[in-house]
Amino acid sequence: MIGRSEHVRRVLDLARDEADRLGHRYVGPEHVVLGLLRDGTSRAARVLEARGVGLEAARAALRHLVERGVVPGPRPSDAELLSTLGIDLGAIRRSTERTFGRTALARATRQATRARRGGVGRVPRTPLRDPPVLATQALYHAGEQARALGASEVGPELLLLGVVTDVRTPWPRCMWNRWQRALWASVGLPERYQGAAGSLLAALGVDLDELRAALLAELRDAVP
Amino acid sequence: MGEEASSEVTAVAAATSSQDPEVGLAAVAALRGLVEVLEALQVENARAKGWSWQQIAARLGVTKQAVHHKYAGGRFRLRRESR
Repeated sequence: MIGRSEHVRRVLDLARDEADRLGHRYVGPEHVVLGLLRDGTSRAARVLEARGVGLEAARAALRHLVERGVVPGPRPSDAELLSTLGIDLGAIRRSTERTFGRTALARATRQATRARRGGVGRVPRTPLRDPPVLATQALYHAGEQARALGASEVGPELLLLGVVTDVRTPWPRCMWNRWQRALWASVGLPERYQGAAGSLLAALGVDLDELRAALLAELRDAVP
Repeated sequence: MGEEASSEVTAVAAATSSQDPEVGLAAVAALRGLVEVLEALQVENARAKGWSWQQIAARLGVTKQAVHHKYAGGRFRLRRESR
């Protein structure tokens, strides 16, 4: 099992924040690219900057993708939606966590959002959890690349390599079921969304093959 | 929280309240996501405390079969048997 480095976890937190800034209620590979740029301390960010990709340019490009309808526009958060009904989501989150604990809450979330006989009362997601991370394919590819290169953990460079690989690889068929579609719809994504990192990097004029080669060269320098 | 997008969205939500189906329906969906998890949490807790499906169903106001169909099988039942 190849884990993620502390640096990557920080980048993913920043990606979540970038998604929030845009009013997106999911975290996709496109936000991971923004997270890498905002962090700015990794060699992955330097590779991007060497190709003329800055944080502001990337943010503007993603906003342009909103206009083109590739990614959804700002949507109210669950906390804001529930506050229109007079419900304080933060208070519920705190009290349930205090009473039942984190693990019981995670288990109940799993019970309510995962397969249950006949799909009775199944919900695509819950406000008690953070927005869904739809960059799992990119993270998977990053792990596979780490394995292939003999790295012990996934760093920011491998993360970006994972994003690039993800752009080139269609998502597996098993990801297309009605529950997945329900989740997509609940965060306002178009039905055929498979991550918008490809569109984002194309809008920024990045050549994927060349970016990939540059990242591999960086990684070879680091892992002899 | 994203400053510009978020405050804009809050303003939209506050101004239209639940009159706008876009906001109203999304609010109900969020509420359902909340309710289902809270229900699962309470059912699991009741089972762990040794409550029968019948007792749980009576408190939830549904039939015994309904709550059993929804929650039985897997970890809740295993836990009961292992006691």
